Amino acid sequence: MADLTLNEKKFLVALAPLGEAGAGDLAAALGTTEEAAVQYANLCAEHGLAAVERLSTTTYTLTPEGEEYREHGLPERQIYESFADAISMKDLQAHPLSRIGIGWLRKKGWVAITKGVAEKTGEAPAGEDEIALADPKDGMPGIADLLKRNLVEEHEAVSYRVAITPEGRALVEAGLDLVEETGTLSREEIITGSWREAKLRRYSLETPPKRVYPGKVHPYQRIIDEVKRVLLDMGFVEMQGEIVQSAFWDFDALFQPQDHPAREMQDTFYLDRTEPMPEGWERVRDMHLCGGETTSTGWGGVWDEEVAQKCVLRTHTTPLSVQYLISHPNPPVKAFALGRVYRREAIDPTHLPEFEQLEGIVMDEGVSFRHLLGFLKEFYNRMGFDEVRFRPGYFPYTEPSVEPEVWVDGLGWVELGGAGIFRQEVTAPWGIETPVLAWGLGISRIAMLRLGLKDLRQLYRSDIEWLRESPAIRRQE
Amino acid sequence: MAVITLNYEYLERLVGTDKETILERMPLIGSDIERTFDDHVDVEFFPDRVDLYSTEGVARAMRGYLGIEEGLPEYEVTPSGIAFSVDPALASIRPHLGSAVIRNVNLDEAGIESLMALQESLHWALGRGRRKVAIGVHDLDTVTPPFRYLASPRDRKFVPLDFEDELSMEEILAEHPKGRDYARLVEEFERFPLIVDANDQVLSFPPIINGELTRVTTGTRNILLDCTGTDERAVRMAANIICTALAETGATIESVEIDGTPYPDLAPAERVVSVAECARLLGIDLTAEEMAALLRKMRFGAEALPDGKVRVLVPPYRADIMHDWDIFEDVAVAYGFDNFEAALPQTFTTGKEHPVAVLQREIRSVFTGMGYLEVMPFTLTSERVLYEQMRREPSPEVLRVAKPISEEQTVVRTEILPLLMEILEINCHRELPQRVFATGDVIRGTHTTQTVAAVSIHPGADFSEAYAMMETLCRECGVAAEFAESEDPAFIDGRRGDVLVDGKRVGVFGEIYPDVLTAFSLEHPVAALELDLTAVPGYPVRPDTP
Repeated sequence: MADLTLNEKKFLVALAPLGEAGAGDLAAALGTTEEAAVQYANLCAEHGLAAVERLSTTTYTLTPEGEEYREHGLPERQIYESFADAISMKDLQAHPLSRIGIGWLRKKGWVAITKGVAEKTGEAPAGEDEIALADPKDGMPGIADLLKRNLVEEHEAVSYRVAITPEGRALVEAGLDLVEETGTLSREEIITGSWREAKLRRYSLETPPKRVYPGKVHPYQRIIDEVKRVLLDMGFVEMQGEIVQSAFWDFDALFQPQDHPAREMQDTFYLDRTEPMPEGWERVRDMHLCGGETTSTGWGGVWDEEVAQKCVLRTHTTPLSVQYLISHPNPPVKAFALGRVYRREAIDPTHLPEFEQLEGIVMDEGVSFRHLLGFLKEFYNRMGFDEVRFRPGYFPYTEPSVEPEVWVDGLGWVELGGAGIFRQEVTAPWGIETPVLAWGLGISRIAMLRLGLKDLRQLYRSDIEWLRESPAIRRQE
Repeated sequence: MAVITLNYEYLERLVGTDKETILERMPLIGSDIERTFDDHVDVEFFPDRVDLYSTEGVARAMRGYLGIEEGLPEYEVTPSGIAFSVDPALASIRPHLGSAVIRNVNLDEAGIESLMALQESLHWALGRGRRKVAIGVHDLDTVTPPFRYLASPRDRKFVPLDFEDELSMEEILAEHPKGRDYARLVEEFERFPLIVDANDQVLSFPPIINGELTRVTTGTRNILLDCTGTDERAVRMAANIICTALAETGATIESVEIDGTPYPDLAPAERVVSVAECARLLGIDLTAEEMAALLRKMRFGAEALPDGKVRVLVPPYRADIMHDWDIFEDVAVAYGFDNFEAALPQTFTTGKEHPVAVLQREIRSVFTGMGYLEVMPFTLTSERVLYEQMRREPSPEVLRVAKPISEEQTVVRTEILPLLMEILEINCHRELPQRVFATGDVIRGTHTTQTVAAVSIHPGADFSEAYAMMETLCRECGVAAEFAESEDPAFIDGRRGDVLVDGKRVGVFGEIYPDVLTAFSLEHPVAALELDLTAVPGYPVRPDTP
């Protein structure tokens, strides 16, 4: 026999002498509300100790409009009686109720309309709707029409009758322990030890608890933190910097020619601002024009100072890398940045005009392309991608360039970033002679894979339900 | 990037091996196979390798990579005796001209299509939409040399390609589809570039359209090439790429005398590179001989010199070789990226989180501890959300983007709080209470700093909650704050406060003004705050790299 609460027991004890009763009587007998009585009844019913019968009665009242028609007749009836045998449509339409009534007249077949004249077809006996309208009661065939016409309103009244089952009666006859139960332990009970005598209420594990949602870091931020942790563990220093950069830092310092397609208005957010050239800009210009003092030919053509002064929302975090190298010219330098970058792209599920980019640089004596591959492999392995492969790539500011790819079950080889060694055209203007390994990675791609998202927008315009239900700990499968 | 269509049959014929071998190895020279079809494949090549924008060019590279034919491809150029003159009046318009005569071409429909595709790809990658370079190919046998490239009056008439009647050059810019596409390249000039023959017949109106007269057909045997533009190097490269691609099909190249100088010059450029520098960059031990062999695989001429150098002859079509390291990259590609042994450097370094990131991490822990969910809204937003709906005056420091994509993204946020109101709006059908916060970048002027904002929406949300929240935040962050009555119109008068540090306003909190709630379609009170993180002790003086 299931554990009964004290309330359920009291309920059974009250019900037993009555055998069968309405919820109101039971409530009165227990000195509680009807709702509570019904609740106890249902709980007892779950244990098979009582049977609950739900009785519902339906009543109808007339709406003000219905009230009006009961008195004067339905609109079609009023119109019908307003003329003798025939009437011209023009006159018929003059009737104040014509807009509602004429349709019904025709529908009920009370008149036939030919050549603009409405003629009565014969008798027009009172319909079921009219009978119901006079005194609406449950079960009348005319009610449905009246409900549709909004002339009556339906009211449902529910009552409950509860009967004790033989099992319930047997239980009561066997005697029920009606000692008061203790819910929450009081301070008094705890310190005096009186809880030992108390009857502690038992709770059921079958009743689910109320859900509690803790405050949480965003699932995407968690991934960002994890990426950062990997880099910090690998000995990298974090960089941060301005979102607004001059085209000089965003493009020119990275040896992107001034007519490079990525610099155009349709790909980059330009701002209505300019920034003066930094010290040393002439060496960057010379690099573009003729390769400075390196073995490079440069891009040739012209290089316009004004183009370089225009401000943009950074299109990548790489300007931070160059700025960091300038202020930290001595090896070893290992640094990373993880921040918003901007591309002038229309929003769709897989493209956004702003997203996070991860960027890393390693400047050290004796580092080479082999070390670049080593770093990338180590980084991706630590991010949980066991298989990494490398393919030739192209980026304007690295040489050699490489596109790392990782194996993702179900997707195959996925390209997750780009990498290379900074060109001398990038480093030489600032006197940096030690090789600089560099790589960039779109983090949102990883987030989509990890979080199983189909729409990137969910990261930035989050559904609170999704945030609440996303587990704090998410292991990769 | 340029997508090149490669017909299997033609590719197999040019490379001399089966398509499976070719397709399997092609990604190793730097390409992405976009889609494969029954009879052809679409492949994407990097924008620096314009020489791979034709089947002929790909075949040439693959023959080397697969070891079928190595070393420098040699192209013989004999004089055609044809002269071409350039009008000095073009100097400020479109001064550079490259040309060549290509004989014995044998083009079927597919061949013509392939040539047009190459031309289009070059217009895009080298020509930057025809501004730097535009290419014209003509049936040489329909015109009479010598040719003249001149600056013509704008009312000169001829029949443009795909038209039947004569149009003036001005009409072409207005009426011909290509004219409309490229008019902006020439329309401000008083005179237009024009190429005519000895009889004053029009070959071309560069960079807009050729004349119908010299249309190249399957019957064309001899081609006159013109490349015009504003960048001499790019013009030359375009001519070289077209000439060498056609030479790969068996055509012969003849030079044209442009103002007395023969053109094109398909002689390789020479570079002497250091084996040690290459080895240092790539991290592999190579002898000069080995390096030269790898370069020959990439179709360079290469010869080991005795003093640890390699003499490299760069084919005339390689636009990407600007620096010695570009040659070293080809060594790496020939060596095979798969064959590099990945290594980790030995130098010891320690990691360090940026102070601002540390601060933000701590703020996250304060708010999550108070039961708040983190959100990460966009930084691009609109003045409507940022100011109008918040009943605030636009900040004089707001940064507008020059050409916004939509009305929703016209400015960069100067505050985060309005973006949180928007998040509540998105979630208005979700269960209350909702408590969310965000910390991130804001831009004022051109300067990036960070703030934290938080909102709480539920039937009991009020000033006291906001005050308690702000007081907790300041206490946990060690902000020595004074609280004073605020005048921020986003909040209800008498239910709002400013945070002052050393007399400077660094934050605001309170109960959101009901009109602001309804502007965001919210139906319950909201307690809100925002604090400038620069007010937190320990915030770096400049948030630049440490």
